[in-house]
Amino acid sequence: MVLLYVFLGTVFGFVLSRSGAADYNYIQGMFLLEKFQLYGIIGTAVLIGIPGVYLLKRHGHTASGAMLIVRGKPRHRGNIAGGILFGIGWSITGMCPGPIVVNIGEGKIYALAALAGALTGAALFGSLYERLRRPFRLPALQYGTGDG
Amino acid sequence: MHLILNDVTPLHWAVGGAGIAAVTLALLFLTGRRLGISTGFEDACSLVLDAPYFRRSSLLGDRNWRLQFVAGLLLGGFLSAVLSGGWSPTWDLGMFDEVIGWGAGAKLVWMFVGGLFIGFGTRLAGGCTSGHGIFGISNLELPSFVTTASFMLAGIITTHIIYRVMFEA
Repeated sequence: MVLLYVFLGTVFGFVLSRSGAADYNYIQGMFLLEKFQLYGIIGTAVLIGIPGVYLLKRHGHTASGAMLIVRGKPRHRGNIAGGILFGIGWSITGMCPGPIVVNIGEGKIYALAALAGALTGAALFGSLYERLRRPFRLPALQYGTGDG
Repeated sequence: MHLILNDVTPLHWAVGGAGIAAVTLALLFLTGRRLGISTGFEDACSLVLDAPYFRRSSLLGDRNWRLQFVAGLLLGGFLSAVLSGGWSPTWDLGMFDEVIGWGAGAKLVWMFVGGLFIGFGTRLAGGCTSGHGIFGISNLELPSFVTTASFMLAGIITTHIIYRVMFEA
């Protein structure tokens, strides 16, 4: 199983690297509404993903026969506030979380600083969770804000 | 237009999107897992921090597979470089170099600050481009539509401020 996760991650990382999804210029071109590439990538992924996830859920089992249950993410005020903060960070760095790691793999030195910042930001968030919980109506601590 | 990486011509967007969907669906079908990268930041934090948020069982129980997947991302980027003309450490940052033109030290500070927004923001939102934008929307989840609209709009506004107001391209 370890090899399966590493393999899927490798394919995912390779596709992000070669499609422009981990490329600073393509990300800025997306946000400037000047390049279609990233909209095409995300749109295609979702257009295949919607029927795919639907059919797999209807099938109801994984390849090994285990029950396939998809638990939805919780809804809370952090969706908008966190989304805005993340969007600002994505624009500043030109990288979302996956591509930070992909860029490090490609040899982009500055991506290490983005990773250090992201880990610090996540550490800060986790440490402040109980204080953020009420204003953002977040789920109880043992559940967290949502996996992914 | 080419990639910053080794001046490679990128894959067609339909191929890139199909590849992302294929990994997403394979992960779900083979392992029952939902795609999502940003929780990996929490997984990494949980290796060294003992704040209660990083000790909860829902996080620790799911930690290993995601860290393995993230290790794959690193390898995927490395292979992409090796197979497209070679791997070498670089500071190249495309239009940032052309328009803003800051050196290595300032670039590190810029990236660290952006990273802070990413780490804090994705965890507050409960996911990032992969967990909300790809998987959540594929599963037609309302919080994912809301989060995706929020980060896309914030990104569009921020990049316009950076490249149309602060530093005119």
